[in-house]
Amino acid sequence: MTTEDLATIDGVSENPLHPPGSRPPLDREELRDVIDLSLWMGQLLLQYGAHTDRIERTVHRLGTALGADWLDILISPNAIVATTISGDEFRTKIRRVVSIGVNMTILAEAETLLLQVEHGELTRIEVRAELKRISLIRRVYNRWYVIAWVGVACAGLCRLLGGDLAATGATFIASSVAMYVRQELQHHYFNPLINVTATAFVAGVISSIMIRLQITTTPLQLLSASVLMLVPGVPLINSMQDIIRGHLITGFARGFTGMLIAMSIALGLLLAMLLIGVEGL
Amino acid sequence: MIMSPETLGIFLQDVVLSGVVAAGFAILFNVPPRLLFACAIGGAVGRVVRDLLMGGGMNIEPATLIGSLMIGIMGEYFAHRYKTLALIFTVSASIPMVPGVFAYRGMLGLIRLSNATGDMGLVYLNEAAINLTKTGIILGTITIGIAMPVLLFRRSKPIV
Repeated sequence: MTTEDLATIDGVSENPLHPPGSRPPLDREELRDVIDLSLWMGQLLLQYGAHTDRIERTVHRLGTALGADWLDILISPNAIVATTISGDEFRTKIRRVVSIGVNMTILAEAETLLLQVEHGELTRIEVRAELKRISLIRRVYNRWYVIAWVGVACAGLCRLLGGDLAATGATFIASSVAMYVRQELQHHYFNPLINVTATAFVAGVISSIMIRLQITTTPLQLLSASVLMLVPGVPLINSMQDIIRGHLITGFARGFTGMLIAMSIALGLLLAMLLIGVEGL
Repeated sequence: MIMSPETLGIFLQDVVLSGVVAAGFAILFNVPPRLLFACAIGGAVGRVVRDLLMGGGMNIEPATLIGSLMIGIMGEYFAHRYKTLALIFTVSASIPMVPGVFAYRGMLGLIRLSNATGDMGLVYLNEAAINLTKTGIILGTITIGIAMPVLLFRRSKPIV
């Protein structure tokens, strides 16, 4: 059986973008470049919160747009494996990925870069420079700006949940201070779960003190809204996206991460309530 | 449905607050500034749809499902319009529907259950079970509602 037959069996020839043999084969050095850039792109997406199907498609599209015939990609919760194929040549590489957090600007820039490469606007050297620029993006907004907006958002949630005005104001203070603590802990590379517990603890202590001062008639809304900036929205939504598309391993891993974060929030809040003495609500 | 002035006031307040909450969380997630307004719109619309349905007598779970389906559809539209990912819009827009109080009550019920004496155990078990189930179902409907529209609009032969 020839390689042509195998390709037809795998359905490769049905790919309308890149039928096999339609492009010049890459040598080993070029393939190395292609796999490196594609994995770099995949690493950024996995680190900053894209779901598995999106990562697979993006890595595949970038690799084929850069000249490879085909890519096979395996995505686990903390590593990506990819094989680039061009003609009879192929290369495989593993990249370890540590999930850092959510940064939508990096995801948006990566998508723009992919579209540019697919339109043939960039060479491999330019793609490398662009990926380097994207991976150096740290913060889009000033940290005090973020703190203020997180306070406003949590206060708004308190009001939406039915809290009175005093509870809303108290939520603003509690969640702003907690967000400041969270940024400091992130800055010192604490374990993410410890970070979440400590942040929830700080928010809980401030809220509990306000409740002990009896400024509000809706303590429940105050306590629950002040920790809502920790809610694991991205892991839970990505978990469902993965499971629906059949990526069960990454889906379950993300779902479990979300549950662990929720339990850490509960632990921090509980410790604060026991310390200040408001458990009898 | 005709609203009294007070209901209308609360309704408008909830619309504005949902938009602000969604924008605040978008800033927390480092959404690019040019996309913030779309996030706020998504958050407001999702919450308003849910509020209207619940005002019309629907239970919170199906109302949340329909609200988050709206968010998913709008996310797809915005993703197409701004040539970016739908996730950017849907995550922050879904935050105003998070069941914070149910989650909190469920957690508290569990803690009380472990220290319960006599017949109070059943009461606390009841409280924990109801609230945790509600939290789980609402979170599940939010994620399902957001994930479904993509499957309807973007169907293609798997390329990978």
